[in-house]
Amino acid sequence: MKKRWVSMLACVTVLSTLLSACGGDKEAAKNAAVADENAPLELTWLNILHTASPPTETIKSLLEEYTNTKITFNWVPDASKEERITTALASGELADIVTLTMMTNSSVRSSLKSGLFWDVGPYLDDYDNLSKIAPEIREAASIEGVLYGVPFQKNLARSGLIFRKDWLDKLGLPVPTTLDEVYEIARAFTEDDPDGNGVDDTTGFGDRSDLKYSSFKTLSSYFGTPNGWKVDENGKFTPEFDTQEYMDTMNFSRKLYENGYLAQDFAVTAKTDQQQQFAQGKTGIYTGMVDISSLRTLAQDLQEGLELVPVNKISNGDGQYRIWSEGSGVGGLMAFPKSEVKTEAELKRLLQFINDLIDEEAFMLMTGGIEGTHYEYDENGAYKVLNTELWQADVQPFSSSRPSEIAYTLKDANPEKQLANELIRENDKFAVLNPTVPLDSATNNEQGTELEKIITDATFKYIMGQSTEADFKKAVQTWKDSGGSKITEEYEAAYKLTQK
Amino acid sequence: MKVPSITAPSNLNLEKKKKNAFLTAVQKYKLLYLMILPGLVYFIIFKYMPMGGLVIAFQDYQPFLGITGSPWVGFKHFIRLFTEPTFMMLLRNTLILFALNIVIFFPLPIIVALMLNELRNRHLKTWIQTIIYIPHFMSWVIIVSITYVFLTVDGGVINEMIASMGGQKISFLTSPEWLRTMYIGQIIWKEIGWSTIIYLAAITVVDPQLYEAAEMDGAARLRKTWHVTLPAIRPVIITLLILKIGSTLDLGFEHMYLLLNSLNREVAEIFDTYIYTAGLKNGQLSFSTTVGLFKGVVGLILVMASNKLAKKMGEDGVY
Repeated sequence: MKKRWVSMLACVTVLSTLLSACGGDKEAAKNAAVADENAPLELTWLNILHTASPPTETIKSLLEEYTNTKITFNWVPDASKEERITTALASGELADIVTLTMMTNSSVRSSLKSGLFWDVGPYLDDYDNLSKIAPEIREAASIEGVLYGVPFQKNLARSGLIFRKDWLDKLGLPVPTTLDEVYEIARAFTEDDPDGNGVDDTTGFGDRSDLKYSSFKTLSSYFGTPNGWKVDENGKFTPEFDTQEYMDTMNFSRKLYENGYLAQDFAVTAKTDQQQQFAQGKTGIYTGMVDISSLRTLAQDLQEGLELVPVNKISNGDGQYRIWSEGSGVGGLMAFPKSEVKTEAELKRLLQFINDLIDEEAFMLMTGGIEGTHYEYDENGAYKVLNTELWQADVQPFSSSRPSEIAYTLKDANPEKQLANELIRENDKFAVLNPTVPLDSATNNEQGTELEKIITDATFKYIMGQSTEADFKKAVQTWKDSGGSKITEEYEAAYKLTQK
Repeated sequence: MKVPSITAPSNLNLEKKKKNAFLTAVQKYKLLYLMILPGLVYFIIFKYMPMGGLVIAFQDYQPFLGITGSPWVGFKHFIRLFTEPTFMMLLRNTLILFALNIVIFFPLPIIVALMLNELRNRHLKTWIQTIIYIPHFMSWVIIVSITYVFLTVDGGVINEMIASMGGQKISFLTSPEWLRTMYIGQIIWKEIGWSTIIYLAAITVVDPQLYEAAEMDGAARLRKTWHVTLPAIRPVIITLLILKIGSTLDLGFEHMYLLLNSLNREVAEIFDTYIYTAGLKNGQLSFSTTVGLFKGVVGLILVMASNKLAKKMGEDGVY
């Protein structure tokens, strides 16, 4: 890999003066596909931005050279993606490539189904990288068997917990493997003064106003709650919140909350605040292993002797491990609207572009940036970012736009991050998939997001001790009566079709 | 018999005259009329033409098919709105918050303006004015964030104070019972200074002779305020009240959206936030247009009613 990189770098240097020298065979390949395309393809990309500001030109121009394109990004901040994408869909103001990440959002689903976008299914096998997309991923990304865009390939399950290792050591507690141990740690982190300052100023669990990406869904996996829906052998569907395991999770969280082991205002805390609390040493448990390096960066100069340990294997006592999978390894779609991409030739050219982005060279540009400037490999061949600030400005915004995150694996020089990465890959083995990912329900498309509010609100209330089990059961009944039962039936019907 | 034959042409004449009068007026004040033009164009383009979009309230609007291609569904969305249990909740929350706005917030700027008017120290007066104006220029995000920092249970200043005095911490941000207090408190903080401007301006035009006359009659300060200043600014108060009522159901989307969370939804969800989540976030464009239309119609009826009432009470009204 290193060798290829050197040659790539050499090419890049030469490229600035002699454009044709490097891309030679690449261009030839493209010419074969689309006869009249020699000039760089001009394309627009409506893309989601996960960082505070868009990337600088550095990496973009290199990507353009590599793929022989001229890219105009139209960045949508992640926080406002729902309204921006739905309005873009409604007004038809789209781009050649549209990044759609909210696959369950009703308006995204209905516009996909209305035929606004190209069906790319038949074309994928013509491209060497795209043809490698696994059939399961294609299935998970399809709606009623039609693939309306190139799926973003992600790891199956990325969740896990992060603990303050230095606090654990100080209190003589082991890295947990069961939920009881997690509870005990939350208690000890709250009551036993883990930072040793003699003041009662710590809370075990930090959390935020989100049931899915914060601790609740992860804990619910540990309890054995199905991911989204449970399907029994007769094809009967039960929503996750109608199971005993969900109740157990709520009781667990409620106990944490009542005893003060869970941040008291978690229901109104934003992600950044949750990270700040952790970085300031107010909390000791954080959900989301992918954030491990940003937590360390945030805690710099604030927490001396900070040590972190990511944990993914926690059981409810039966020794079995489970973790929920988001979208079954699909992070969304790169879709091509027919209003912008008028001909098949144009579509093929865009597919070629995405295919090229999965090449190792392009992958490394979007992951690490330029070797020697943004990152380097240390003596062990481990990847190491040289200048975090420069990396954040030039490269980071691209890393979440990579069409595939699983095509190559890097060894990270930061042992904590490397461990987290390994655990995320290990999660594949016991990931719990959501059976409805490839299924479609008209009622869910229309009302699902709103109905979900009923359950979310009821769950928060129960955890915070403001309602009883009967109240929660009543909320579930309301959900059923307002359309939930219909969703269940529609999923069962759709499931039956796939089983034949 | 002669009467109609005379009146008819005279009526015609009158109309002609009226028309001519308008035309001559236009001719006479060409420049002035030219100056209205941009405003008119603005209203036509940005306020009247979008109203055409309201037709999607009667459709199952699909962006891909457009207004012409989407199926017509009659009053389906209206029926859904009025039969959904959320409707009563939305209406209740909206009306209660509106009432708080009118009863608690509306009189405050008048009182503050009257108080400022009594201040004899010019410097102190301008200084106080400036200070209470400032929050108006902060966005709701900042106001709500400041509130969050002050009120959060996890180390918020207020709660720390309560705890240090031996009290029980209060979860202001997640309790439904605190939502309305917080809402109105934030509005008072942000807008009280700014809202005094018009009243202060109105007070300055009160004829000083009236005060002198009142003084001759032996009126003290409070008397003068009650019998001279207040009646003098009455038309302004009425006009502002009508305008305020017109925006009844506009309680400030941004403000409420920031305060809204899973725990206080039953008292905090209002029409504005509902339109946003149902329409823009979930993409039910037709349904949220219906909600918006309903809101607009209620606002219109309220303005017309209050205007009429004001006229009955002998005031000018707004139109």
